Amino acid sequence: MTRYINIALAKGRLAELSAGLFRDIGIFCGDVDDDSRKLIISDEENKVRLFLVKPGDVPVYVEYGAADIGIAGRDTLLEEGRNVYEVLDLGFGACRMVLAGPGAIKDSFSLMSNKRVATKYPRIAREYFDHKMKESVEIIKLSGSVELAPLTGLSDVIVDIVESGKTLKENGLEVFETIASISARMIVNRVSMKMESDRINKIIADIRQMLAERNKTAG
Amino acid sequence: MAKWKMYTPEGMQDILPWECYPKRVIEERLRSLFRSFAYYEAETPAVEFLDVFSAEPGLTPQETMFKSFDEQGRILVLRPDITIPVVRMAATKFRDLPEPYKIFYIGNMYRFDEHGGGRQKEFTQAGAELLGADTPEADAEIISIAANAMLAAGLKEFQIDIGQVGFFKGLMHEAGLQGDEIEKYRQLVDRKDIIGIEELAENRKIREDIKKLLTKLPVSFGSPEAVADFRSKAPNSICREALDNISEVIGILEDYGLGKYISIDLGMVSSLKYYSGIIFKGFTYGIGYPLLSGGRYDGLSEIFGVKRPATGFSMGINMLMSAMSRQKIGLAKPLTEYLVWYDRNDPEARRLAFAKAETLRREGFTTEVCISGKNIGDACIYASSKGIGEVLEIKADGTFSKHAARK
Repeated sequence: MTRYINIALAKGRLAELSAGLFRDIGIFCGDVDDDSRKLIISDEENKVRLFLVKPGDVPVYVEYGAADIGIAGRDTLLEEGRNVYEVLDLGFGACRMVLAGPGAIKDSFSLMSNKRVATKYPRIAREYFDHKMKESVEIIKLSGSVELAPLTGLSDVIVDIVESGKTLKENGLEVFETIASISARMIVNRVSMKMESDRINKIIADIRQMLAERNKTAG
Repeated sequence: MAKWKMYTPEGMQDILPWECYPKRVIEERLRSLFRSFAYYEAETPAVEFLDVFSAEPGLTPQETMFKSFDEQGRILVLRPDITIPVVRMAATKFRDLPEPYKIFYIGNMYRFDEHGGGRQKEFTQAGAELLGADTPEADAEIISIAANAMLAAGLKEFQIDIGQVGFFKGLMHEAGLQGDEIEKYRQLVDRKDIIGIEELAENRKIREDIKKLLTKLPVSFGSPEAVADFRSKAPNSICREALDNISEVIGILEDYGLGKYISIDLGMVSSLKYYSGIIFKGFTYGIGYPLLSGGRYDGLSEIFGVKRPATGFSMGINMLMSAMSRQKIGLAKPLTEYLVWYDRNDPEARRLAFAKAETLRREGFTTEVCISGKNIGDACIYASSKGIGEVLEIKADGTFSKHAARK
């Protein structure tokens, strides 16, 4: 009996693009619909199952082996810090993780002694200040609209993802430094990679080839 | 007051009788397996000085250890690992004994960050250490014990991946990298993050041929052909020796008849603080973490003042049990064979009942004596509720009759 390969996709902006990858390599995913009540979609022919979870949960499912493969943004992977194989850069969902703040404090920022940092990514922010800046700061965890924090005096700066930088600009904020470049990644459970290496390697190779062809036609 | 009296701390669990029974059965199987290879069990204290585990910077991250103080203010830890204490023990207590030392242990470890086995902070490990031997035969012996431990536990489908950190070290040497830089590459290779390796190599202007080999490492697993391919491109003798070593160990494992369980992963690069040569990990279905891991750690004993090559492995018993239950491999269950019943108002019957129970126990049957049933009917109901096979009614004249357990 062939075992199912379980794939966890992040709900939201990456879901449709991720599902499209599998459809393009011939793994039928049905309609991946965020509103659908059905939690698991299966492809009986290829013995593949697919499910949508909150972005932050993708690396958790994959680390525990509940999903063999996952697709999530690199921001999520860095924030979760899970022990998984990161095998492919899928290219889409590209943006940057940055340190940003009001232009007025850009030059004096490094001299401030008690820095307050608002972010949705406390781990990334902490690691950045621990390892790169070698200092302890006050991390303020927020769930959204992080740009508001420096404007209202909640924090001095923010650590967040930016795509175009338009929102920052409109709110009088500037990028101080880029912490990491972000895009969607394919991750694989460490045991699945070994125990199901033939099937998983085929999926990786097929997607890699398909991405290369896409790039060629685009370029 | 006493708000937490009903709870166990997070990551600490009661092991209930019906869970403990199969656990002990597995531990016993492993114990006899290790002994059959002429390894003998040792115990080290559950509490050690912090210094034992942090003799070298980065050996055991301090945030993973449970700490307290002794009367003199020295820092104590609950052991996060037994390999290091075993090496300490050998370095300080075995001075004049002939090498090699073959030691095994089964015991509980304590870690704040334990990922496997459902993230328990207290968990049981069984493992074997071979100290004072640097031959490929020694590496192969430890790997064969690891494979046999999986088989002894009842697993049929599993895989042991073998790597050699020397190849990676040779590449780093060739690239002229040191310390933190090496650690960065190590993590990227170990995560199979090819993009990350390319980016880093690009920024640091690594030689093109080394970069190519580094980006090939993460995908070089599975068949032994990878070794030959890398052998032809190896830039220095450190790399070549590592590859020859891995081929040799695999050859020996073929002779053990274990070839079908063995696979190669040159991209597996575990902590360089600890490992110095052959490393390996064991996997099976149903659990997302390696079940066992081990390898050669020739530099460790030197920290304790004695140069002594060594290799060993440990496996997580809690994880092994989850894997077995997910693979529907039957776990041993406690079984009581007889319930002895007598009329509690009859002193003669009581004496005979105890004698009968004793005889049965000596014959190897698990036997319970009924201590509260008013009549044989109660005894049969009790036997049925506890899953006891048969009820023996003992009479004062020395005869007895058998009754089936019933509801």
